[in-house]
Amino acid sequence: MKKKFIALIAVLSIFPALFSCNLGKEKIYKDSKIAMDTIVTINIVSNSKKNARLAASKAFGEIERLSSLINFYSDGSELSKINRNAGKKPVHVSPETMDLIKDSIVVAKKSGGAFDPTIGAISVLWDFQKKLIPGKRDISKRLKLVSYKNIIINEKKQTVYLRKKGMMIDLGGIAKGYAADRAIDILSSSGIKAAMVSVAGDIRAYGLKPDGKPWMVGIRDPRPVSATENILAALPLKNMAISTSGDYQRFFIKDGVRYHHLLIPWTGMPAGGCQSVSVIADKAVITDSFATAVFILGPEKGMRLLEKMGYGGVIVDYYGRVHITEGIKDKIEIKRPERKNHSG
Amino acid sequence: MLSQDNLRLALLSAYAIAIHGFEKLIPTPIPWLRFGLANIITLTAMVMYGFRAGMTITLIRVTVGSFFTGTFLGPAFLLSFGAGVVSTTSMGIVIKLMPRVFSPVGISLIGAMFHNITQLLLAYIVFIKRIEVVIILTPIILIIGILTGVMNGIVSGMLITGLNKYRSNDVNDVIVNP
Amino acid sequence: MRLRDLKGKITPADVILLFLLLAISISGLIFIDNVMPQGTEVIIDVNGKQVYMLPLNTDKSVKVKGPLGDTLVEIRDGKVRITESPCPNKICIKQGWIKRGAIVCLPNRIVVRVNSTKDGNRKVDAITG
Repeated sequence: MKKKFIALIAVLSIFPALFSCNLGKEKIYKDSKIAMDTIVTINIVSNSKKNARLAASKAFGEIERLSSLINFYSDGSELSKINRNAGKKPVHVSPETMDLIKDSIVVAKKSGGAFDPTIGAISVLWDFQKKLIPGKRDISKRLKLVSYKNIIINEKKQTVYLRKKGMMIDLGGIAKGYAADRAIDILSSSGIKAAMVSVAGDIRAYGLKPDGKPWMVGIRDPRPVSATENILAALPLKNMAISTSGDYQRFFIKDGVRYHHLLIPWTGMPAGGCQSVSVIADKAVITDSFATAVFILGPEKGMRLLEKMGYGGVIVDYYGRVHITEGIKDKIEIKRPERKNHSG
Repeated sequence: MLSQDNLRLALLSAYAIAIHGFEKLIPTPIPWLRFGLANIITLTAMVMYGFRAGMTITLIRVTVGSFFTGTFLGPAFLLSFGAGVVSTTSMGIVIKLMPRVFSPVGISLIGAMFHNITQLLLAYIVFIKRIEVVIILTPIILIIGILTGVMNGIVSGMLITGLNKYRSNDVNDVIVNP
Repeated sequence: MRLRDLKGKITPADVILLFLLLAISISGLIFIDNVMPQGTEVIIDVNGKQVYMLPLNTDKSVKVKGPLGDTLVEIRDGKVRITESPCPNKICIKQGWIKRGAIVCLPNRIVVRVNSTKDGNRKVDAITG
């Protein structure tokens, strides 16, 4: 009888052991931090909390490092150094900054200048907190400073030079996507098999969730019916990225007109054709910048560009109508409740 | 003899109600954890005086107990009533069909399991109506049942062993001076 | 101590039963841990009917009307709890914060669930825009 009691105690002591075995299965570990002046969320699929934490901190570290290199508003960044030396001298930069500026020039070319990293000279005129509309003359004076063609890159010397004094590179339309890509690179090289990184609305998904399903991403409704029903559509993302540019992200309304941060490089004024544009492609650096480009081009030209590039896209036009590229029509699930079309 | 039986049942029922009431005062780490201490009395009575005694005590405990808490015929009463009857019946069947196979610990475990499962099912039918909630709660409730069942069984077994020593004595002495 | 007398009374059937029940409940727990997803939505039911569906990642407090009165549900930091309830036992309040599973307030007939897998309702892992 004594033996049975020992057996009983043995069973009870196995109890916690069984629970700890349970820790061996894959779970999603989620962590959020403020970085790049926005909220960065990293979801990591791992069977070990410790590994997930470690990988996440490396990824966050990388994003913070990138931010310190390319922050438009910080005097210490490489980007500020380039801008300060516009029209003066080439500035030696790190490979990451070089990479990103080169990427931004590629996108500028492909979008016919709709996306232009040298928009900085104009974007500094706009203050969306103070609700200031810059004077027409101030804008037109600076328009000639906006052209990606005046960025001179020397690959051998690793330098960037802006040809005209007063020119400014603003990577706000591409840096967050690039950061999401870099974070995923760091995670995958740390042995993580699946993750999702979102830097504000720039999301890169990698691998599959523990349940074997792809990551589901919701597209925010630019004019939500209510605070809880704020999703326009949802779609699965497998080793893809998505970004959204919307007129509701940074804006003010004055005299019934909505002024937002997506500025047309050739007028310096906010683009009027869309409420929001989401782009789906394999890299977030692409989706981030193309979402801006398509927004500026407007629904028709934007749609053509997306189809030409072979990217997926969801455009909500000025009237609230939703346009979806052919390739993703059957994957996307519209979540917006029924209602009448209306403009912003 | 009959009056003595009734007296015995009345006393045991009073104990059950008192224990049941007292139990509500004990703080537990998990809200769902209830010891079901009254089952000690039910089980002891059933082993010593038969199924009818156990069932009578359960019925009295549930009904009179609900008068005290003001839940008579309410949903909480229904849950407690159904679970009490099913649990007592299950223990009665085990004692009847498989005498000596289980010790009081085993019988108590069976009673606790049936009690908790019945309560959960009744809660599902009258109130929760969400099968996934029931699925989440089932293993938790089973584990709680194991803990409380074993504990009550041990106490019950001790009581029965103790009481059997006084079997020949007057029953009043037994209950007043256990 | 009479516990010693009792030891001799434990039967093999007792031990088998205990083993069996432990095995069933532990495998049940593991099963549920695998099947139940980490939630992103809080669903509040009154009397078996859904009255609220809220995102778990948005801090919010809502008042839910039950047969006894108003129950206050609070969502904060990805967790949900019941802060006020007209029920007599306050078990629902004592249950504190939950991240998954459910809080049940029997007297006021309220169930607060975190993300059920009901009819493949596709949840969203992140929002762009």
